[in-house]
Amino acid sequence: MSGPRERAAGLLRWYPRAWRARYGEEFTELLLADLAERPRSAARTADVIRGGFVARLADAGLCGCAPQVPELARAQARAGLASIACCAAVFLGVGGAIWSQLVIGWQWSAPATAGTVVATFVMTGTVLVLALLTLLAALPVAWTVATRFAAGRARSLAVPSALFLAGLVIMVVGGRHFGNGWPGTGGHPWARTGLVPGGVAAFCWACTLSVSSFWAHPAALAAFPAAELTWMALSPIALASLVAGAATAVRRAELSPALLRLEGRLAIAACVTMAVFLGAGCAWLAGRTTPPGSPFRPGAIDVAGLAVMALALGVACQAARLSRRCPA
Amino acid sequence: MPVPTDKALDGFGRYAGPATLILASLADGTKHGYALTKDIESFAGVRVAPGTLYEALARLQARGLIEPVESDDRRRPYRLTEVGAATLQAQLDAQRRVADVGLRRLAQGWGLA
Repeated sequence: MSGPRERAAGLLRWYPRAWRARYGEEFTELLLADLAERPRSAARTADVIRGGFVARLADAGLCGCAPQVPELARAQARAGLASIACCAAVFLGVGGAIWSQLVIGWQWSAPATAGTVVATFVMTGTVLVLALLTLLAALPVAWTVATRFAAGRARSLAVPSALFLAGLVIMVVGGRHFGNGWPGTGGHPWARTGLVPGGVAAFCWACTLSVSSFWAHPAALAAFPAAELTWMALSPIALASLVAGAATAVRRAELSPALLRLEGRLAIAACVTMAVFLGAGCAWLAGRTTPPGSPFRPGAIDVAGLAVMALALGVACQAARLSRRCPA
Repeated sequence: MPVPTDKALDGFGRYAGPATLILASLADGTKHGYALTKDIESFAGVRVAPGTLYEALARLQARGLIEPVESDDRRRPYRLTEVGAATLQAQLDAQRRVADVGLRRLAQGWGLA
């Protein structure tokens, strides 16, 4: 049986690292005193677990009151922006798979329904807007990180920057390799009438190859070339590395209040754009009149994908709402 | 822009009650977590659980209503700030208005003093 100190340490692990660094010592003392008075208390355990969960949400910028202490407000804004970056990555990872399916389909033939045409046009427009917003959001962060490296004050940014760059290189090289190897672009009547250049569609398809219903069909998956299977397993890890590196860099880069406000506005614009994309996706899903066998026909994976995107958007909106409260 | 004192606990949700109790407890001097728990238990008859206490403390500190006191003790004490004192005043005034109305109506309608 473990002693009170071990039990207090075990309870403390429910809380995030930053919280433990700030309150861990004093909270442990309180728990020890409480354990001495009430050696067994399920209510205390439940309360600590709930407190730890709330603290983790707060640490991610997803709950909590608006801080009036500027340092804490900026920390919450940075945490919220990092969460938005993660949510946007999930949204784009799944949304990119759906969008590339539609625009690759358009390389082969015209969509059968007006709903699919409109949905594909809207999704294409929103993908362009999201790409622009991502660029606008990433440039100031990259500049801040670069200037900190130049000033020799980037020790805490070295690992996240390495993670980001490693993930980016793997995604670009792998995406181009498997995109170029895809046989479906060119050489047929519709090849030059697609909505977007075939290379772009194939690159997006390759980057999101892991978002696939084939995972539920191991026998069919076993027939895939080994290189493609490896890429399907490796690309989500590379994407996670890229996003984790970017999110951690945002949290540690000490962005100025003005920059935080700019990033907050860009985040809100991204949320609105993602909502439009999601609406177009739902409209496409609702128009299930597309004939079987058509590349435009939605499947179960697309329904699941839209549900995941809705969840990611909801979390991003909550983070954007809270991260707007950075004081001047 | 500073939050008005009567709105300072907005956004605290289920932690607004414990936050008011903590502010009231700190009104007579600095206290650490365990001392807060015991003091609140003595004057309010409720035991604030550790997780709830520290979530409320974190929110109060983020709002600038309390602040930690430098100490060599592992049990860090907290004290009320001026904004915290004004917030407590506003909270208690609001609660007193509710209590006054409730007591007056009980006396008029039910004959209870």
